Amino acid sequence: MATEKVSDSGGADGRTAEFVAEWRNAAYNCYSSGHKFCREVCPVMQVTRDEAHTPTAFHANVVAMEQGLLTIEDVARDYVHCTQCGACELRCPNTLFTGDFYRFRTRTVDLVKAMRALAVESGIHQPHWQRWNELTDERKNEPVLNGTPVSQEHVADWAAGLDLPIGGDTVLFCDCEAAFYRTSVPRAVAQVLKQAGVEFGLMQEQWCCGGPAAEMGYVDQARRFAEHNIADWRAVGAKRILVLDPHDYISFTEDYPRYFGDDYDFEIVLVVELVAELIRDGKLTLSVPINRVATYHDACRLNKRKGIHKEPREILNAIPGLTFKDVDHVTQWSYCSGAGAGLGIERPDLTAEISRRRVERAKALEIDTLVSACVWSERPLTEQGEQQDVEVVDLMELVAASAGIEV
Amino acid sequence: MATAVTDALLDELVQICGEEHVFAGASARFNRARVPSPFPVHRWAEFTPDAVVLPTSAEQISEVVKLANREHVPIVPRAGGTGLTDGAVPLKHGIIVDVKLMNRILELDLEDRTVTVQPGINMLKLSEELKPHGFIYPDNPASYPCSLVGGRIGTSGWSLIGGRYGHTRDLVISFELVLPTGEIIRVGDGGGKKVRKSSSGYQLKHLFMGHQGTLGITTEATLELVKRPEAEFSAFFAYGSYEDAWRATGDFARSGAATLAGVVLFDEWKIAYLRRDDEAYIPQPNWVKGVVALAMYGNADEVRASAKRLMKIGKASGGEYLGDEISQGDWASRHDRYATPLHGRLKDDQVVPMSWHCEDASILYSQLPAVREKWHAVAADLRERFDMFDDWGMFAYTNGAFKSWGDYLTEIDIGIWEMQWDDESWAAWVDAKREIARIAIEHGGSISACHGSCREGEVDLVPLELGGGFEVMKKIKRTLDPNNIMNPGKYLLDEAYEEDEA
Repeated sequence: MATEKVSDSGGADGRTAEFVAEWRNAAYNCYSSGHKFCREVCPVMQVTRDEAHTPTAFHANVVAMEQGLLTIEDVARDYVHCTQCGACELRCPNTLFTGDFYRFRTRTVDLVKAMRALAVESGIHQPHWQRWNELTDERKNEPVLNGTPVSQEHVADWAAGLDLPIGGDTVLFCDCEAAFYRTSVPRAVAQVLKQAGVEFGLMQEQWCCGGPAAEMGYVDQARRFAEHNIADWRAVGAKRILVLDPHDYISFTEDYPRYFGDDYDFEIVLVVELVAELIRDGKLTLSVPINRVATYHDACRLNKRKGIHKEPREILNAIPGLTFKDVDHVTQWSYCSGAGAGLGIERPDLTAEISRRRVERAKALEIDTLVSACVWSERPLTEQGEQQDVEVVDLMELVAASAGIEV
Repeated sequence: MATAVTDALLDELVQICGEEHVFAGASARFNRARVPSPFPVHRWAEFTPDAVVLPTSAEQISEVVKLANREHVPIVPRAGGTGLTDGAVPLKHGIIVDVKLMNRILELDLEDRTVTVQPGINMLKLSEELKPHGFIYPDNPASYPCSLVGGRIGTSGWSLIGGRYGHTRDLVISFELVLPTGEIIRVGDGGGKKVRKSSSGYQLKHLFMGHQGTLGITTEATLELVKRPEAEFSAFFAYGSYEDAWRATGDFARSGAATLAGVVLFDEWKIAYLRRDDEAYIPQPNWVKGVVALAMYGNADEVRASAKRLMKIGKASGGEYLGDEISQGDWASRHDRYATPLHGRLKDDQVVPMSWHCEDASILYSQLPAVREKWHAVAADLRERFDMFDDWGMFAYTNGAFKSWGDYLTEIDIGIWEMQWDDESWAAWVDAKREIARIAIEHGGSISACHGSCREGEVDLVPLELGGGFEVMKKIKRTLDPNNIMNPGKYLLDEAYEEDEA
């Protein structure tokens, strides 16, 4: 329990001192730069224009905390204003121009996560995040259905009629938002994979990946959920995990290895990359023309966090009938749906505005469809798309349609 | 003079700007204290504002300024907060008027080729919006990705290769501002906000540029639209001595090529700095002691012809052309290239994060070699006494086809390990800055070509540089800002009010 840790490390001062000791050098790397090139690519800053919401401030606060000028109470709320998209890290001159030599990357996302964790450990909670994580803890999946409770009983309802086995060498992990809300996405994925001859099963009891809890600072909960999931993978004999959502992909390729070290020996496969390969190898044929004019929304966690931007485009270019108006992935560093890292839970107004601007940019290309590869982005983008006459579609929904699959 | 910002005053600010745009919390205040220039981080609390407002209109700003006059509370204007001469640092606390929320494009006039914007817009973002129409707004300082139009006007900044089309002073046609007493006026070359050529009355546009926030707050600006250039050309030439490179620089700058965008002279300290641990820079052999970089922009037929001329000059001056790879790669990333903190080195070669400090004196071409020697000596003395400074070498820049030959933006880049500041090292630094400024003035130059000259140390010599002009500055300040509300403490202008107190 977090409270036990608190007393061990000597209360608030001890906790902050420990945190500062860990982050002071990273903070000074940013502080010394002072360039602020991160600012205009930050999707939150583009809306709030508030310097306290900048990656520069997020780092400078550590310097001020070291000097005793600011406390976690002073700054905790500021750190809500981040989608953990990673744009600032890429645009940072320290990453761009010393990255090659020193293998250096500015780590704003990790810093934001750490500061949020410090806040939670210090008993400072953001009300909506606290409730969200309590409900997730209770129900084992995120409360993505607003009033309607989610539950383990219904976590695989999306797969009704698809006749998917439990377990096996390969299992498909289905994100909470996909499992309960946008069920067309996992249904599309499952049927596309089956058509291409990929064998896979489901988990016995799939809990939330724990990533959202980690992003909001509830680190003990995140860890417990991770432990459950890998125990389940082991129990069903899985070696290979298929992942359809970029947020889960971050959890499984960054958080889980950190938790479990060498014991973590699972192969994590991103469905977008797998599908691109299946098309390339002729195992999946897209032959039904899709008569749409579309642009692609680079999912932040794929493009900015993981450098994955080629495969989605490769897939879109393989769909017959589709007119694809691309915007390059570097320009899209400054784009986001605003849905990430709990921003939409605590500041839905900001998520809506970030999504509105994203759809507006798409609309300017004279398209009818905005394609995303991130199920979390699709709800706020769809809400804004309805206002602007742009249909928001998941890449796998399009692939299924072009493969002649009725989702 | 200043009275503290009281709860009652905060209530009035909320009435004017709205609750969501007024901040008095610690993080809002501490994060609007510094700018990227060297900052005595051990004295951070001395430079925090009492309150911050993010207004959304000129009328709101006017009301805030009137309130500040009534209550005798300082106002500090802040746009990007990326200036290098502390203009946006609150020296006497007070209220920060942060214009970042005012970042809309108000009018795009493709016929008369102007764009009218609010002051909180960034130039890179603006040019992204102009791209579909085939235009750019070419004002591109090193802070191009983050500085804002309002700050460019407040500092009268300098454009790097955008200088092909003029600097901020040329590219801003007219602007609206809130005076220190709250009136809203528009200044430009003439009456109409889109007029570029007028001789009606005093040339007030220039008076209200580069004042570092001491004469008002820009609330709207009408800017020049420039056609996106069809072609660009860049080339790097290497020389075996600084003197040869310096002579070649003069030849290039005097070439008369109308498409000339920039000529940049790197000295051997700068080359060594770039060479030592930077894979992005193409390493040069050891015989290279000076590099000259050139850039041109314009119509394809003109650029092609001028490129031939410049290549001939390069050859005739004994330069070795460094190849296409560096021309395309290095020049293209110029904004980010030269100042990453992780290149800082202590005397034992250990890498530590150092802030980049850039002097920006304007030095006559003939004086460049002499000034260079003296400046490096100042930096060496600092490094000798405090193992927290590093000499990152010198550049000299000139831009554009118009008068490119006379004086050069001359910078010595000094790395500073700011984690180490204490009162002694800070005092030594201020002395060194004053000395660097003195050398510039003694050689017939100016303390600053583009940042402004109101930092601690250098500012002491502003009266020496400006002579009787400084007395006029004080009279203007007192007339326009009778209560010394607008960014007090800057440019020694508090002296204008001393007679009152005596």
